[in-house]
Amino acid sequence: MSSIPESTGTKTAIEIKGGKKRTQTQIKVQNRFIFFSLTPIMIVFIVFSAIPIVWGLVLSFYQYNPLQEHSPFIGLRNYMDLLKDDVFIKSFWNTFKFVIIAVPANIAITLMIAIGVNRIRNNMFRNLFRTIYFLPCIAPLAGSAVVWSTMFNKDTGLFNVLLNFLHMPGVDWLTDPSLAMYSVIAMTLWADMGFNIVLFMAGLDSIPKMFYEAAELDGANPWKRFWNITVPLLSRTTLFVTIMTCLAYFQMFPQFQILTNGEPQNETRVLALNIYDHAFTYMNMGYASAIASVLFVIILIITIIQLKLGKSQWEY
Amino acid sequence: MGILGGIMKKKLDIPYIILFLIVSMGAVIMFIPYLWMVLSSLKGNHEILSGATNIFPQKITFEGYKTVLNDAPFIRWLINSLISSTLITLATLFTSALAGYIFAKFKFRGQKLSFILILATMMVPFQVIMIPRYLIVSDLGLINNLFALIVPNLISGFGIFLAKQFIEAIPNDLIEAARIDGAGEFRTFWSLILPQIKPALSAVGIFTFMAAWNDYLWPLIVLNDLNKMTVPLALVFFNGQHLVNYNVVMSAGVLIMIPVVIVFLVFQRQFIKGMTMTGMK
Repeated sequence: MSSIPESTGTKTAIEIKGGKKRTQTQIKVQNRFIFFSLTPIMIVFIVFSAIPIVWGLVLSFYQYNPLQEHSPFIGLRNYMDLLKDDVFIKSFWNTFKFVIIAVPANIAITLMIAIGVNRIRNNMFRNLFRTIYFLPCIAPLAGSAVVWSTMFNKDTGLFNVLLNFLHMPGVDWLTDPSLAMYSVIAMTLWADMGFNIVLFMAGLDSIPKMFYEAAELDGANPWKRFWNITVPLLSRTTLFVTIMTCLAYFQMFPQFQILTNGEPQNETRVLALNIYDHAFTYMNMGYASAIASVLFVIILIITIIQLKLGKSQWEY
Repeated sequence: MGILGGIMKKKLDIPYIILFLIVSMGAVIMFIPYLWMVLSSLKGNHEILSGATNIFPQKITFEGYKTVLNDAPFIRWLINSLISSTLITLATLFTSALAGYIFAKFKFRGQKLSFILILATMMVPFQVIMIPRYLIVSDLGLINNLFALIVPNLISGFGIFLAKQFIEAIPNDLIEAARIDGAGEFRTFWSLILPQIKPALSAVGIFTFMAAWNDYLWPLIVLNDLNKMTVPLALVFFNGQHLVNYNVVMSAGVLIMIPVVIVFLVFQRQFIKGMTMTGMK
């Protein structure tokens, strides 16, 4: 066992006889495997993810426009300019407005739907409902936005045709400054609720039935059962779903660009759209990177909150 | 039997019937945009141009579909999406499993650091990454090239993370046994590790494919040639050209949705399992 000739004989022979003891050759083979497998992966990762992140943050300190020859270092000027940029400030608050309205609405509606669908006793119908509610999630958001833009059309769109049918005046869904954001929110909710419904349904399934049976025996009404059993025992799922929805909604882009492109009067201009326009319409990539860094900080804060909350006690 | 039977047995459970009706109504509302899309796609050009405000087509025609298939490189768009999404998915599955295996079962210098780095980049918003990534891709001369979609997406932090979690659960003795049997490192990975983590891989595969197929922002940045576009981007572009005769755009929408819905219905079970599995991790 111990007298394996390390320098002679073929490599395979050593590996076979080497058993659990890692011989010099075996380590060499493994190192080569690690090196050749991981190097290409890490190169792609570094070139297309790691470097861009660092570069993106660095770019925010430059006045960078790829069409111009000089791109001077301007320190914090981009950030100072942000504070004076009314459109940026508006897009900042618009983003929060969107998240603050759309996320709770999403959570409340998806939780109710999940509870409702979960109570359907017939398996076939339950699965059918889940499929229908989930269907919009598999379509590209951009495609759904296109369909909804025709539904929102002032003259020929579905919503106004229905209103006219009921002898009510049509509504400027996407051009009325006080309404446009809510129209985008409605479309977003339709397109995106399915994920959370499925997650909530799985969460509900994992609550032991005996809790409800015991509560029912004690005479707790459905409302009490909801608040005292469902809500606390679903808190882990709810936290996860809320955080994920928040993170996604802060970065939402396609429907804002397609439905309204930030109009009317910048009422639906959100940070993601603002970044895109500065970077690729006006080619102010330094300035766009500064806005992106602001978005990064927001996302970072939410992630830290998630990590903090996720560590507390949730077991039952 | 069936739903009515279930209700009858319980002597007309009124709250349950109300619940059933509400859930059904919600489902109908969710379905309306699809109905609208199909109905609009069947309207004729003339009907659309006359500005008629009927929801159901006056006369069912396939003019919209003909325009899409004859006047637009529709098949080209489908092929572009199919090629890029498939390549991205296959590559991601391979690199996720391989990197996951190495991070889970080997020790080397810088291992922890590189894994944390990969995890950390997952949370960075794409808006930060996209500008430098665009500059890099254009330096590589890949603008307007499908490879601009594929190359940056060959790896996935989420995929590597998930694969690592699953591979850590495989006993070391099993791997050691394969080595004693003379299997090379890659053979061990390919024929021992891969089959063990099939559930994780199917979840990663479904999500990667869907994300690649539905992606809009990155293709919007790197593709502007009509013949190079992927489906969602082309649909939006097409919409800009046919704002008035929306029957054409809706026809394109229907043609795009049909394969997606079929694929979803076939893989529905794995899909939902994958979502809850990865979501609750």
